Amino acid sequence: MTALDERAGAPEGTDAPDPHGERPGRDFGPVRWVPRLLVLVPLAYWILFHIPNTESYVAVATDAAIYSIVGLSLNIIIGYTGQLSLGHQGFVGVGAFTAAYALTVQGVPFAVTFVLAGVLAALFALVIGLVALRITGLYLALITLVFGLALETSLFEVPEFTNQGGGQPAVRPDWLFDDGRYYLFCLAFLAAAVYLDYRLLKSKVGRALLAIKENERVAEAFGVNVTLYKLIAFTLSGTLAGVAGALLAFRIGIVTGSGFGFFLALTFVLMTVVGGLGSRIGVIAGSSLFAVLDYILTQTPVKVAEEFIFRTDALKQFAPQFIGAFLLLLTLTQFPGGIAQQNKAILDWLHGKRFNPHDLLHPGKESGPGTVEGSSVRA
Amino acid sequence: MSVLEVRDLSIRFGGLQALQDVNLEVNEYEIVGLIGPNGAGKTTAFNCITGFYTPNTGTVRYRGQDVTKSPPHVKAAMGFGRTFQNVGMVKSSTALENLMTAQHAKAGYDAGAGLLGLGAALNGEKRLREKADAILDLLGLQSIRDKKVGGQSYGTLKLLELGCALATDPDILLLDEPTSGMGPEESDELGERLLTLRREFALTMLVIEHHVPLVLRVCDHVYVLNFGRLLAEGKPSVIQSHPEVVAAYLGGEAPEALEATEETAEDAELDAQLEDAVHAHHDDTVALPAQKTSDEEPPAPARPRRARTSTSTPRPKKRAPRKDASS
Repeated sequence: MTALDERAGAPEGTDAPDPHGERPGRDFGPVRWVPRLLVLVPLAYWILFHIPNTESYVAVATDAAIYSIVGLSLNIIIGYTGQLSLGHQGFVGVGAFTAAYALTVQGVPFAVTFVLAGVLAALFALVIGLVALRITGLYLALITLVFGLALETSLFEVPEFTNQGGGQPAVRPDWLFDDGRYYLFCLAFLAAAVYLDYRLLKSKVGRALLAIKENERVAEAFGVNVTLYKLIAFTLSGTLAGVAGALLAFRIGIVTGSGFGFFLALTFVLMTVVGGLGSRIGVIAGSSLFAVLDYILTQTPVKVAEEFIFRTDALKQFAPQFIGAFLLLLTLTQFPGGIAQQNKAILDWLHGKRFNPHDLLHPGKESGPGTVEGSSVRA
Repeated sequence: MSVLEVRDLSIRFGGLQALQDVNLEVNEYEIVGLIGPNGAGKTTAFNCITGFYTPNTGTVRYRGQDVTKSPPHVKAAMGFGRTFQNVGMVKSSTALENLMTAQHAKAGYDAGAGLLGLGAALNGEKRLREKADAILDLLGLQSIRDKKVGGQSYGTLKLLELGCALATDPDILLLDEPTSGMGPEESDELGERLLTLRREFALTMLVIEHHVPLVLRVCDHVYVLNFGRLLAEGKPSVIQSHPEVVAAYLGGEAPEALEATEETAEDAELDAQLEDAVHAHHDDTVALPAQKTSDEEPPAPARPRRARTSTSTPRPKKRAPRKDASS
């Protein structure tokens, strides 16, 4: 079909080109893997081999991996079960303090500290889960918020845990002392979390949670024990957050209560929503983005531009908040699926189709478990 | 032994007595109809039977076992499959996923195995998918297998919801207005389908239904609810001609009030039927104690003509408070 045809006679023709870029009947065969591999292989190389050996940003990449675990953890509560947790930094903090205290003060073996961190955070999450059985929506958000704030000013201030307020040291064992190696260690945990998340969605557990999110009565009619599965969701999420907390403790090397303030909780929720609720890839992308935001603003050419334009580097103090708020607005108004919504567009583009960020071809698919409509966020 | 036996069921919401001393019984392999005007308490009765509400008094027995206080998910696992008046499905999931979700209680593996991806879970998933596909084939819905449920037409949703109820592997199926949103032809088709399903799966059913031809066709026995009380019960043909039932549906024995309204050919035919019914003998109708109490009530106000298809008819203001009882 020539360009002229396209302009002139298209309307009646059944084989008229789709205005949104779908070109039917074009099969690339095995060749379609070429653009994919061209993107994925360098990406994998960069993540697995380049980052560990790059001193300047291996630390921030480690953060990205840890944040991704937190994002996946939060996604279980918000994205799948449809509850809201504004106190997630509390679970992460419990994990961090548990790991640091157990290793440094009690002399517990390194590996066991992760188990303890996971179990203890899971217990805290279970308590919040019990609350969530009775209270939902805005009030649950409020209670989780208060829970996080209360932990920050109570448990995280106990002198024994915080080394008399100076911060509890958490020193990695020798074999993990190298930053690059620790980064890979965190990546392994992220891989495990991704596997867990994958299994969750592929099993009756995930389906039960999605049913609960949408309509508890329907879930019950389908035989789902709503009470049990809500608690499973919170416990699982708490475990992941606790382990992520332990990883964070060993990444920083010293744990202080002020490191787990409300702003961290906001960042966690923001990165999950902006990444795309219910989407694994989206949440990881969103979490990584927010983990490295600070670094981008202070260490890269962006900073140079910043200083050139504003003649100050004070911008970095509040820029992340503004960027976060802007991205949230963009997500809520334009792209309800978050970053994940671009997944299909990018894949299509790699297949030789036109880049179509709004996914107009399949409007139904937009409203997946990843949408922020419905009860999850507005509640 | 009857599959489902409800004795003296009563439930009260604040000042509203939604159900009062309701007795009903569903025997093996029966399709039992539950009819009544809007707000009569039909859906409330369903909710009590399936465990969504706990009745104030009365018992619900399933095959002789007292299940009055069992929560809905336990009853679902026991063999209570139900549908909802306004479609109960996970709208953001696909048809296949819904059918798999519905098999939750029969998945054959526990949550831990599912999360770790053990062999039992993988085999279980395969079985669930096969069964879901079989149900899609049975209902002729393969075309929407991988489509989001949310975007489908109402009739399709109702059918798929029936499929979901089937997927729970029910012993007794409770259907809340399965033909709402369907045209007459689709309704007839559904009646045929219900009979086929009963034959193939040896099912027992309790059906809330407004579509009279369907009730006449498929039901073995009919219970009529009005204002939370049982008004009558009996064979559908008998119920159709029961004067109290006619009065409840059309609002008192005031045929002259009806004549003032516009008539279509179909209406005239139904009128003739009803007229016959009012004058017919009905010796074999079972008289219920509830009947006496309803006699004491003042005659209900004349209802608008189309009360038969009562889903869309606004109710007279006098009865408005009772509306809450319907769902």
